[in-house]
Amino acid sequence: MAYDYQTVHALEGTIGAVSERRANHLSVHRASAIASVLAAPGRAAEAAGILVASGEFEARFVAPGEWLVLSDVHAPETLGAELSVRLGDFAFVVDQSHGRVALTLAGPDAARILANGIGADLHIDAFPVGRAANVLCNHLSVNLARTGGDRFGIVVTRSFAGALVDDLKVMARSHELSVDFDTR
Amino acid sequence: MASLITCPHCGTRPKEEFSIRGDATPVRPAPMAPDEAWNDYAHVRANPRGRIREHWQHVSGCRRWLVVERDNFTHEVFAVTDATESRGGAR
Ligand SMILES: [Zn+2]
Repeated sequence: MAYDYQTVHALEGTIGAVSERRANHLSVHRASAIASVLAAPGRAAEAAGILVASGEFEARFVAPGEWLVLSDVHAPETLGAELSVRLGDFAFVVDQSHGRVALTLAGPDAARILANGIGADLHIDAFPVGRAANVLCNHLSVNLARTGGDRFGIVVTRSFAGALVDDLKVMARSHELSVDFDTR
Repeated sequence: MASLITCPHCGTRPKEEFSIRGDATPVRPAPMAPDEAWNDYAHVRANPRGRIREHWQHVSGCRRWLVVERDNFTHEVFAVTDATESRGGAR
């Protein structure tokens, strides 16, 4: 028996009803190319070098020798294969494009909003632009990256995306926050 | 309980991000060691007050196993190192 499968975003139908844009905006990426990269034993330096050398990837730190790699250049369908070719025996690659949801929180209160649920120091000196780490946001473990002075990238497992957005709305209750997909 | 742990990989984090396995000092006996040695290793623990070494895992962060050296009376944390450092940092 043949089935027709449709790609449905984890947050489809739960956000975007209000089109008004406020001072702080949580943008949910509609289609993200994401892969998990784990360096082979003793090969973390080589794998990191390859990821950095190519301008096509954004490698976000997860743990020593482990990164979440995002790409604007490559499609979700091809990122895993592109990474595997470049990294060879230096690392193991697992596609996460449909397993994770990527979000961007930007605005003058972005760090304050996150501080309502995250127990890490997010001051620009302690968590500078380019830094990334896994953090606990309320009860969810998410990958947080600072991509600008008042701009953060968040990657969360797909099934927790709804709970995370709900949490972020509560965390932003004292601030102006709008939520929508990056493309309609 | 020490409430802030500085993970060598992730930075300073609340203790809620970690899970604690327990004493990091017992040394695993050889596979064919006498039953008494295995019994001591598996079941017998000192209950010291003061400076102790424990295995903590940063479950909500880098997921690495760490050795936390802390004082269970004053809650002071002296050192947090990756558990692999005791065998040369190999991974
Ligand atoms: Zn950590």
